[in-house]
Amino acid sequence: MRAVGVLGGLLLCAGWLAPGLAAQAGRITYEAFTLPNGLRVLYSEDHSTPIVSVDVWYNAGSRNERPGRSGFAHLFEHMMFEGSAHVKKGEHFQLISRAGGSENGSTAEDRTNYYETIPSNRLNLALWLEADRMRSLAITDENFHNQRETVKEERRLRVDNQPYAPAFIDGMTWPFDSAACFAYAHTVIGSIDDLNAAQLSDVRAFFDTYYAPNNATLVVVGDFRPLELRRFVNQYFSEIPRHPDPSPVSCTSRLAPGTARREVTDAHANLPAVVHIYRVPPHADPDTPALELLNVILGEGESSRLNVAVVRRDKAALGTQVAVNPFDSRRGPGVLVVLAIANQGVDPLKLDTLVTAQLDSLRASGVTSDELTKAKNTFRAGFIHERETTLGKAEELHHYDMFHTSLAEINGDLDRFLAVGADDIRRVAAKYLDPANAVVIIVKPPAAGAAQ
Amino acid sequence: MTRAAVAVLALVPALRLSAQAFPTTPPQATRLAPVHFPPFKEATLPSGLALVVIEHHEQPVVSVSLAFRAGAIYDPAGKEGLSELTAELLSKGTATRTAEQIASTIEGVGGHLSASSADDFLTISVDALSDQLELVFDLLGDVTLHSTFPTSELELARTRSLSALALQLSQPGSVAQRVFAREIYGRNPYGRSPTSDSYRAVTPEDVTRFARERLRPGGGGGLLVVAGDVTDAQVREFVDKAFAGWRGTPPSGPALPPPLTRLAPDILLVHRPGSAQANIVVGNPTILPTDPVYYAGRVAAQVLGGGADSRLFLILREQKSWTYGAYASLRRHRGLGYWQATAEVRTDVADSALVELLHQIDRIRTELVPDSELTAAKGFLVGSFPLTIETPSQIASQVANAKLLGLGDDYLRLYRERLSAVTALQARAAAARLFRRSALSIVVVGDGAKLYDRLKAIGPVRLMDVDGKGLAPGDLDPPPARITLDPAQLGSRSDSSQVVVQGKPLGFAVADITQVGDSVVYSEHAVMGNGMFDQRTTVVFAAADAAARRLDQVMIRQGTKAEAHLVYAGGRVKGNNLVPQPDGSVRQLPVDTVVPAGIVDENVAPLVGSSLVLTPGQTLRLAVFTPSEVATRVLTFKVGRPEAVVVPAGTFQAYRVDVTGPKVPLVLYVSVDSPHRVVKQEFVGQPVVIELVK
Repeated sequence: MRAVGVLGGLLLCAGWLAPGLAAQAGRITYEAFTLPNGLRVLYSEDHSTPIVSVDVWYNAGSRNERPGRSGFAHLFEHMMFEGSAHVKKGEHFQLISRAGGSENGSTAEDRTNYYETIPSNRLNLALWLEADRMRSLAITDENFHNQRETVKEERRLRVDNQPYAPAFIDGMTWPFDSAACFAYAHTVIGSIDDLNAAQLSDVRAFFDTYYAPNNATLVVVGDFRPLELRRFVNQYFSEIPRHPDPSPVSCTSRLAPGTARREVTDAHANLPAVVHIYRVPPHADPDTPALELLNVILGEGESSRLNVAVVRRDKAALGTQVAVNPFDSRRGPGVLVVLAIANQGVDPLKLDTLVTAQLDSLRASGVTSDELTKAKNTFRAGFIHERETTLGKAEELHHYDMFHTSLAEINGDLDRFLAVGADDIRRVAAKYLDPANAVVIIVKPPAAGAAQ
Repeated sequence: MTRAAVAVLALVPALRLSAQAFPTTPPQATRLAPVHFPPFKEATLPSGLALVVIEHHEQPVVSVSLAFRAGAIYDPAGKEGLSELTAELLSKGTATRTAEQIASTIEGVGGHLSASSADDFLTISVDALSDQLELVFDLLGDVTLHSTFPTSELELARTRSLSALALQLSQPGSVAQRVFAREIYGRNPYGRSPTSDSYRAVTPEDVTRFARERLRPGGGGGLLVVAGDVTDAQVREFVDKAFAGWRGTPPSGPALPPPLTRLAPDILLVHRPGSAQANIVVGNPTILPTDPVYYAGRVAAQVLGGGADSRLFLILREQKSWTYGAYASLRRHRGLGYWQATAEVRTDVADSALVELLHQIDRIRTELVPDSELTAAKGFLVGSFPLTIETPSQIASQVANAKLLGLGDDYLRLYRERLSAVTALQARAAAARLFRRSALSIVVVGDGAKLYDRLKAIGPVRLMDVDGKGLAPGDLDPPPARITLDPAQLGSRSDSSQVVVQGKPLGFAVADITQVGDSVVYSEHAVMGNGMFDQRTTVVFAAADAAARRLDQVMIRQGTKAEAHLVYAGGRVKGNNLVPQPDGSVRQLPVDTVVPAGIVDENVAPLVGSSLVLTPGQTLRLAVFTPSEVATRVLTFKVGRPEAVVVPAGTFQAYRVDVTGPKVPLVLYVSVDSPHRVVKQEFVGQPVVIELVK
């Protein structure tokens, strides 16, 4: 709604020493092209440090899994590090590490990413490794069994052996109905039973369906020359054949169907906790900027609503946390999660009442102009910090390409946030923080003296 | 060109004149220009404060950190947590600002302000967009010089720290680190952690004094690092203004006694019931930060466990599938540092994983690292340098680290060269010196009931709970699952046995088993020495899971009669039991106590044990209640191979079952054929045998 000039105006008023720097802050310039086999390539030069980040997103995530095969996309992500036609098992890690690089990957609901940051004289190595595994991943029984066990241990490490994690992770899926929206009604990490039931043929089928150039985007950010990059990309990727486009995922979910409450006993927890999960719209929805600012006002920092009221004034919580879509954004409906861990001796139902009172107060009376300013400034600073590194920029390019209607929004998006008014925040609070839109989980430690 | 040739060319898709095939080997590196550590300015101010300014103008951000020698090692004994609470309170009120005002001022402009305490240093951190430089220094100066540490804020911080401690003790990784630090450092302050008592012991005066004494600029105590879109001149101006008049040197720190060297490795098993994995941490204290063996040690640690391209990861995860990740690293303090190797593994392979981990430590200490691994390790340690200087915060952190640890002015300039120069011989020598195999501390956090026996096979095991209280093996949990009896084993029957003492039959016992409804009634009449001892025992238990329901016992001993009658219901056992006394007499004592659901009466333990599904090699656990001791314990049944057993009733193929847990361990011989019958019982260390007669 407001002109781009508002941003420039804000910055000039603040009296920055380097207006050129300020105006450039967070801007990403990029080029895009697509290979005949459908591989989309985005790149952005940054010669400030002699490094480069190579980041591939596959349009595959837990939302593509079917009932009985949860955890599959993540298991597959692990398989991608196990070798390909010209790379032995363990060699992927070795080649990157020896070259002075770091690498990892992650799985979310809507996408799986694979990235490495490496000194810029090894760009070709990073691209070649991505291409070799895209075209010829080694899918063997041995690798499969090895990584399946690894993933089960990852689940135990992150979820089963930790307090609160099961309630949080499972809780994120409870707002969605398995029949109408299996995509988001199950966890990314999957269940041990489903992992045990997976077959090697499932892995091959997943690869054939989703791991294709026409289902992937390659982003390169850093210290390279575009002509050289194009040459490598053409040489390594252009002959990888496309596969048929995967079938689309559907999800039907209704806002505010009615409050769902659950009480769970957490065998590992010493302190009670309260988790609220609210349904929120897809990331591209016009309500998203207001929701993200609401998130900041509610939960970010010492001055957040929940911290000031529930932690400091009521002394009921050790800490509180609010997050929208903890794993990554979604093209389908998502979640806003509120977590509060009780201080010793505080009844969780009382804690729940106090948390709910803050949410209700925000819905009824909205936010102050100071809070709105804080949220926008926090956003502006965050926007700049996200784009400080080559990997950060690469992820931003992917984010806008997948979750926004147009990649071009990457540089104008901040304006949408700065244009949000207090009324917008009150409106989205009323709509999405509606108790009828919530799943509320009371997490209790085991009863004293109960047998394990 | 002829028209035909042109026509042919038009049909052929555009050729890439320089088309190359897909390389079948990894492409080679191209040249990288030398990368230098970014320049920075340093100065010592009149107050004694050391100042570093890193100008970095890519983004309009600034981050500031002010570090003091005021970390946890300066906590007085008994007041562990003082430094942590002081740090927390620094942002909770000054002479001119309340906690709320501090928070809303810095967060209102999109920045952050916090203070935290680590072992050596207490650090105040502020970050914001660079147009807020003046505000950043105003706040920094205010909280450093004018904090008031309100008592109400101390109480809130204390409440939260006590809760945070409870939270930590529920997290296996935190428990492991806490216990490990104590194990390797002992009484040295690096090994201490706050407790609820120590948090409670901190007074407002303690906090005020700690801050006043330790948050001083001079004597090398204070280091201020400013990084981002700033100039040196601006920074000086704001620092002079914010810290005007600030003077003083903190008192010197505590003596850091050298930790006691362990004489032999042993395993400290921290029992965390219901754990889904075992957290393993091994290591020992090492060197001062300026010890030149650091470089070779760093290379050895990288080979052993620096990342995914290291031995522990490749073996424990990629080969054996035992863990999501296993790593090793050297850690530095201002005083003696330490090294550790960690892995979180599937419980049933914890013993194998520990053995393998120890084996890899042995290898790195005794074998020369092959060229390829040495090159790979250095390739990462040296080659990754450009990745570590991308942002001003990263640069600031490296400079701060070098200065705070006293690593010397040429450390940053030369560390890559020094790492590159490490030879395989030096790496081996460093590993041998730093990874003290014979003095390792080994900590395992997990389900002790599942781990104890396995780990005992590797070395001596000390047991404790997550709060640090020592445990005995008998304190480990009974098995969580209720047992399921095989109904075919409990068909009605009558067994007669003779009691043989030192080879002579001295008594008999007749046992009847009957099913009544959903219960099994076990009645036993035992007589010894021509009536000197006559005992009738009836135990009623659930047919499905052997849960005890009733015990009735009448004993006549040397003419005196005593009775026991116990009812098991609703998670309690009530009544009275018989307690033999040392003088030979027997007392009847009342009983009313909690018992776990499904508990088995010890009088029928052999019967129940033999009525389970038995296979050789199996270990079964049974939770039993011992009426005479009013105690619950776990009996362990180890099933051996079948062997021929000769008793008056005949020759039977019988499993040998070793039973440990009771005061007197026993050996049961249980017939292989159904229904399983105990054809013989032996008592370890006693000349008593009970044999089936009919």
